[in-house]
Amino acid sequence: MTSKSWTRVIPAGALVLCAAMAAAQTPPAVPAHPRDLTYPPLTFTPPDPAAHRHVLGNGVVAFMVEDHELPLVTVGVQIYGGAYLDPKGKEGLASLAGSQMRAGGTETHTAEAFDEEADFLAASISSGFGDTRGSASANFLAKDTDKALALLFEMLRQPRFQQDRLDLAKRQALQAMERRNDSTASIENREWGHLVRGKAHFSTAAATRASIESLTREDLLSFHREVVHPGNFVITVAGDFDTAAMKAKLESAMAGWKAGPRAAAVPKPEFTPAPGLYLVDKPDVNQGRVTLGHLGIQRGHPDEIAIDLMNDILGGSGFTSRIVNRIRSDEGLAYSAGSSFAPGIYYDGVFLVRFQSKSESVARAVQIALDEIARIRTQPVSDEELESVRNSAIETFPRRYQSAGAKVQAFADDEMTGRDPAFWQAYRDRVRAVTVADIQRVAREHLAPDRLVILAVGDTGAMLKGDADRPEFSLETIAGGRVTRIPLPDPMTMVYPDAK
Amino acid sequence: MALWAAPAGAQQIEPQEFVLDNGMKFLLLPKTGDPSVAAGWLAKVGSVNERPGITGISHLFEHMMFKGTHTIGTKNYAEDQAVRERMDAVKADLRLEELKLQERHRRGEIADPADPTHRSPRHRELLEEFNALQQKERDLLVKNEFDRIYTTAGASGMNAGTSQDFTIYFITVPANKLELWFWMESDRLLNPVFREFYSERDVVREERRLRTESTPTGRFQEQFEALFWSASPYHWPVVGWPTDVEQITRDEALAYFDLNYAPNNLVAALAGDFDPAEARRLAEKYFGRLKRNPVDPPPVRTTEVAPVAERRMVAHAETNPQAVVRFLTVAEGHADEPALTVLGALLSGRTGRLYKSLVLDTKVATAAGAAQNAQKWEGYFQLQGTAVPGGRPEGIEEALLAEVAKLQDAPVDARELQKVKNQFAADNYRRLTDKFFLMLQLLLAENTTGWQALNEYPKQLEAVTAEDVQRVARQYLTPETRTVILYYTKKGAAPADPSLQGLSDQERQIVQQMRAQVQKMPIEQATQMLAKIEAEEAGVPDDKKKMVAAIKAILEERVKKGAQP
Repeated sequence: MTSKSWTRVIPAGALVLCAAMAAAQTPPAVPAHPRDLTYPPLTFTPPDPAAHRHVLGNGVVAFMVEDHELPLVTVGVQIYGGAYLDPKGKEGLASLAGSQMRAGGTETHTAEAFDEEADFLAASISSGFGDTRGSASANFLAKDTDKALALLFEMLRQPRFQQDRLDLAKRQALQAMERRNDSTASIENREWGHLVRGKAHFSTAAATRASIESLTREDLLSFHREVVHPGNFVITVAGDFDTAAMKAKLESAMAGWKAGPRAAAVPKPEFTPAPGLYLVDKPDVNQGRVTLGHLGIQRGHPDEIAIDLMNDILGGSGFTSRIVNRIRSDEGLAYSAGSSFAPGIYYDGVFLVRFQSKSESVARAVQIALDEIARIRTQPVSDEELESVRNSAIETFPRRYQSAGAKVQAFADDEMTGRDPAFWQAYRDRVRAVTVADIQRVAREHLAPDRLVILAVGDTGAMLKGDADRPEFSLETIAGGRVTRIPLPDPMTMVYPDAK
Repeated sequence: MALWAAPAGAQQIEPQEFVLDNGMKFLLLPKTGDPSVAAGWLAKVGSVNERPGITGISHLFEHMMFKGTHTIGTKNYAEDQAVRERMDAVKADLRLEELKLQERHRRGEIADPADPTHRSPRHRELLEEFNALQQKERDLLVKNEFDRIYTTAGASGMNAGTSQDFTIYFITVPANKLELWFWMESDRLLNPVFREFYSERDVVREERRLRTESTPTGRFQEQFEALFWSASPYHWPVVGWPTDVEQITRDEALAYFDLNYAPNNLVAALAGDFDPAEARRLAEKYFGRLKRNPVDPPPVRTTEVAPVAERRMVAHAETNPQAVVRFLTVAEGHADEPALTVLGALLSGRTGRLYKSLVLDTKVATAAGAAQNAQKWEGYFQLQGTAVPGGRPEGIEEALLAEVAKLQDAPVDARELQKVKNQFAADNYRRLTDKFFLMLQLLLAENTTGWQALNEYPKQLEAVTAEDVQRVARQYLTPETRTVILYYTKKGAAPADPSLQGLSDQERQIVQQMRAQVQKMPIEQATQMLAKIEAEEAGVPDDKKKMVAAIKAILEERVKKGAQP
């Protein structure tokens, strides 16, 4: 193929004309290859969180970065606490309390009145609780700062948890629950959690019909009392405001609000995954979804950065990584494939490889993933591969601080999770220092083929049968006999039928 | 009229604009922030420009644009080229063999045309040669070098997207590497090479499985589009019909490129930390090398025919009971688009009419919303609502239409209208916060009405009156222009049916159809059929035994249940 192939779609006369035009232009010299390009230096110093950290009168830490380009302000309140605090039998409490702070009105505004006022101001106000953290935020026009702040803190301090809104949210939760076994993606996420964290850990404890139905307005009020108070807050403000004035506004918004004790620490899972092949049958789809992996490391591990780069080479950096090249580009076996080795914040994280492939080629794609795990452990990576991922980590570093909002969020994350800001000051030097030998050492120490849990969700008959053209790939051979079939649970009770 | 002063004339978007001699347009928008530039270009081509037989080619093409150039992605361009030409020839011969098998399948001579045991010796030979060539191509590759060069330079978020109306390629580069973007993007337009064409076709096939075939409602949504658009090329999916994607040839892709990726059909945009004068110099140096195609791609010829009667689709899927009601309206840039957009906003959101009425007041739904969706050549207005568990989708349909009727009968009150206008006004600022999003908006607007619309459209929204809203509700939301889909919840896949274990897709389908028939069957007929199977069971060929056993089990269950179907 050359650029001249357009000749076949245009008439000959026009072609002559074009050729004349082309000859008239003298193309300026263009380097033959991008490696011949030279670039001006780019210096970047990461912003210093201390310069933006303010301790308010009530002891709450607030990170503030002004940016006056647009007349918008975003105020965020990050909250310690989350679903890990849900009592047994009340699974879903933190999540419901989080969403109902916003949806259920306040002591002085009914839910309807609150919604109307926020919408008329065109202020975007939200609240929610995840597994290990909650947040509330408001984005609004700077001219409405006082009104929007008043709404935000009214919501945080005096939620009404209006009964009809709570009933609606429970209906919606139950409806979503009914659909738990519909998509293979949601089945895969759920079962993967069970396989690596067990069923007893908060991160996999599922709400059930019974737990949702048991939740009352009083439960929400008591969760709110215990968790949502200044003792659990870290505040972020970004946009068009004056720092001194905003400090005063925040202090007055929280005046007289007593800080309770900090939420309990996030509990670690006590579970050892059992290696082997696990299958979930979903016979009406023609593509299998696969996750394979094992437990990894916790943040702060001395090998954290080397492991991150190793994973980038293995499958973590898109088309520049091996698993994508082999499974997707070479073989056309998947649209999306890759790996992740994110360190856990509160306990060990997980290493995993994930892809989706047509049922008959699942075994072949799994084998490729296993081969690549073995290869990075036994053979040194090339200098070029390491150079790519190292440079990428260094050169994309400034994007971490791409806006005032991104900066305060990064600062608050570190504040809440106890990450020393010095980590980021040293980050690029530590990346530069990683060697080919380091990559192989961490691959050998932290990738464990004998501990792999392999989960495949899809048409198990077809996945086990494999590809008639490539009989050498078989899931059963890969599993070496350790095959467990996981039945689908009743979606409302999460009770599993006895596995056969 | 204003109850509350909206921030009049919110910030304008004023890019520097120029057109190269070859017809390629550039929009440059410097913006403060971190030291990086969001960069992208758009080809004014999408699935709407395709025709039956090559549906999905725009999207397949988008994938091919990452496969390198004469210099990027290969160890030896000449050898690489020769291998590719041979591959195309072998693939064409293979196609003939596959067609023979498909014909035998149509005649009922073979059950599965993909079964390798039916292949002729010639077919097997060709496959072997093809696999060998593929290996050779692989040996000559510098794998995903295009991606690697960008990644190593600290560029991030490289991706592309294809829609009905356009194909777009974008990335964010560090501020000092802007020239790399010009080098890479102009090189792939000037010297593209479609390597790994056939395995990439398979990747796209997997993408279709992922998005359409293996999701609970993907296949239904696809057919809903096909039902709604009868004449318009919006009829087919962007990812293409599976048979087309499997057969598109490299030659077809090349011809497509020549016509649609000429500079006179392209527009580029940059937003972020850069010097526009320098960017212009680089644009001329690099993209100036592309040659204009004297033939402009033809505009889409086929306009949707005026609907004459309501159309309906009744779906049983693993999803919540829900109703979608869609009306044919107007394309982007039409004078009625702003009023239709306001109509959608009045109906949607937490304080919109649908949520208040269906979700909060009558409690028939758990979610509801509506929006005008204007595309380049046509547009539609869509309402949708999800019933409470166990609810009836027809009830949702009625409730949605009742809210439409209210807007047709009486003008909205001033405060309600002002509320949605306040939101549009605030959104005018919000859309300016992110440089990547700015770059995207410039390109998309340029594909249809021109970037100036980014500044004009907010004013048009501000000018919409209650009378305008009532008029468009009456004019466009009429019974004959609507198409409806009602989703009923199919019994969950819950504990997998062990009787289907080990059956092929086709056999499974037969068994499932059988199950549906048996349920409606009088008991006598089921008993008779069961007796017949029992009598003939011994003679069933081995490979059909499992399927027959499954059907037998269904009949036994039916007979056991007794007279009442």
